[in-house]
Amino acid sequence: MTSTNSALGKFLSGRGMRKLRRDRMALVALAVIGVYLLLALSVGVGLLDKGDVFDRAGPDTVPGAWGVQDGEKRLTDAEFYIEQVQRAARASNAEDSLAELRFGGLRAAPGTPAEVQAQVDDAWLAFDAVAAYEELDEDPEVASLLTTLEQKVEGLYAAPTGFAGAIHSLRLSLGTDRQGRSILFRALYSTKVAVQIGIVSALISVLIGTLLGAAAGYFGGWVDHMVVWLYSTFSSIPWIVLLMVLASMFRGGPFDGTLIPVYAAFCMSFWISPCRVIRGEVMKLRELEYVQAASAIGFGRIRILLKHIIPNTAHLMFINFSLLFIGAIKAEVILSFLGLGVKNEPSWGVMINQAKAEVLNGFFWQIGAATFFMLVLVLAFNILSDALQDAFDPKHVGSQ
Amino acid sequence: MTATQVQPVLEVRHLSTCFKTDRGVVTAVDDVSFKLYPGETLGIVGESGCGKTVTSKSIMRLLPEHLSFQKEGSEVLFGGNNLSLASEDEMREVRGDRIAMIFQEPMTSLNPVFTVGWQLDEALGYHTTLDKAARRERAIEMLRLVEMPEPERRIGEYPHQLSGGMRQRVMIAMALCCEPDILIADEPTTALDVTIQAQILDLMNGLKQRLNTAIMLITHDLGVVAQVCDRVMVMYAGRVIESGTVRDIFHRPQHPYTKALIESIPKSGAREHGKRLPTIDGIVPSLFELPHGCRFEDRCTIGDKKCIDREPALEALDGREVRCHFPLGDAR
Repeated sequence: MTSTNSALGKFLSGRGMRKLRRDRMALVALAVIGVYLLLALSVGVGLLDKGDVFDRAGPDTVPGAWGVQDGEKRLTDAEFYIEQVQRAARASNAEDSLAELRFGGLRAAPGTPAEVQAQVDDAWLAFDAVAAYEELDEDPEVASLLTTLEQKVEGLYAAPTGFAGAIHSLRLSLGTDRQGRSILFRALYSTKVAVQIGIVSALISVLIGTLLGAAAGYFGGWVDHMVVWLYSTFSSIPWIVLLMVLASMFRGGPFDGTLIPVYAAFCMSFWISPCRVIRGEVMKLRELEYVQAASAIGFGRIRILLKHIIPNTAHLMFINFSLLFIGAIKAEVILSFLGLGVKNEPSWGVMINQAKAEVLNGFFWQIGAATFFMLVLVLAFNILSDALQDAFDPKHVGSQ
Repeated sequence: MTATQVQPVLEVRHLSTCFKTDRGVVTAVDDVSFKLYPGETLGIVGESGCGKTVTSKSIMRLLPEHLSFQKEGSEVLFGGNNLSLASEDEMREVRGDRIAMIFQEPMTSLNPVFTVGWQLDEALGYHTTLDKAARRERAIEMLRLVEMPEPERRIGEYPHQLSGGMRQRVMIAMALCCEPDILIADEPTTALDVTIQAQILDLMNGLKQRLNTAIMLITHDLGVVAQVCDRVMVMYAGRVIESGTVRDIFHRPQHPYTKALIESIPKSGAREHGKRLPTIDGIVPSLFELPHGCRFEDRCTIGDKKCIDREPALEALDGREVRCHFPLGDAR
């Protein structure tokens, strides 16, 4: 058994871990984070593809589980669906067009173009019957006409059954946005984007911050002056402005439309806080006797810095990583809300941005879903960090 | 006792170490010369701030280069080299391998995030060409040598799992693992309680005899000096003021400061009951405002105008040296 294994074993059976296991909230938070990571991973390996988040999943804005749709809306939706089938049935290669017609899990009901056309005409009749009324709400007569119309429209489509049906109802469970895209799937896909941005930018920022901060703290002199000058300069620029400048700088470049501008912007402004903290810690550590003992053994300065000092700042690296992970996710939302962040992919920020106009019309489920998904992740992370601190902070635990 | 024909393993000549401070250059170690012979223990004694630690760090060249320098003419002769002028690369070869050092604070002298075995292994890997299995063997052997209980188990433990005494044993094992010619021990027992202190001193004594290592023991504890040292060098405000064998220094101190130091060791016995412990009045002069004359003058009970005007030279006599205009006679 190597020492690493036994060290890990001791860590897992240690007092900190026992304390953590007793903390119910922390365990729940840990489970939530685990679910998010799992989700992000499965989206990443292809559980959801771009089709799932960009294709129409249903008629215009389908309300989520709690919404009720007004008559006007039901009528326009029916019109949209009839028109789509009609267009396909009248195309020059009608059979192919009908076979290809598809909204999310819905597809045109099987039949020859002539049969389909007859059904379409029938649906139009039902449509006209409803459209004749001025007021579509509150009148029981209209309500039954609307139901008839919707049944006719449903007849135009073969509703998916079995597994595909379950997926389809899942797809619509949180409703759709104005363009008929599944909100649930977009929110789930955004989890991947958020986790990806969080991990990549926090990792790079902590890495840059640690290396620069440790070098500044250990070598002092002109290295220190330079690093301090650099982060003082960067931190005197409001980060949001820096992010905006960087994001627009990349516009039109080869990386436009990827996440690289976002990573670059975040890393340039986020490395400062780990750098500062680690610089201070290293200044303290370099005076400690084990560092002097290491130089008395004859080790070179780079070796001492990398092998003896930096491992002792690991706790700060972890703390900063978790802070920056959350920070990056929140910053991404803000940046995307301003239209400078994620492109060609859904993200919570993009969703909230698109929901601006919808909310004014009473369609809250898109902004609701995006906010809820983000809130739960951020909250879980905060609870976990608190619990970790309670369990592992040497001031609580004691060094023995 | 050392025979005169034996070559010293280390010879320090006219070592002066200066620090650049905001208030100007200050000389912390002033013209210190001594020799260290194989297999002997040299004690360096003095109050805080008298330059003991700076002397040892100057030999190892461990002081920050941008804040300190050695005056021209300083020589640290070791193995035919003048370490005072050696390059950093040459120094890295010497440190740990030929001259090893242990520190005062065993609690913080080991890196808390690595196991004892890892740290021993790294030192061995750096200075030897042994393979991994051989290094592990050697590490266990070293831990056994320093009388660490259950070395096979301890090697996988972290410093915080060890007691202060055990940590100091590990430090000694680490310092001795490359069989250095010289071991510099900077207050190795100050932070330990008395029983552990005795064990560690015994251990160092035994190892010195087995490995024929020369030890430079820095301490302010005269009891420790009497117990383990062969020769003693007393320092005061950056100067060597007296040196000689332990027997000479303790029984026939010639410098008033040495005498006062020895008198201020608490003694037991009925005769001492109710007596006040003699102390030395005053404080060490600031290195920024050193007097013209003898540096001990303002605290000295003897002496006259000569002491204020002119600093005494270090005069050799019968294998011992003293820096005083009025050395105390042999009668005591």
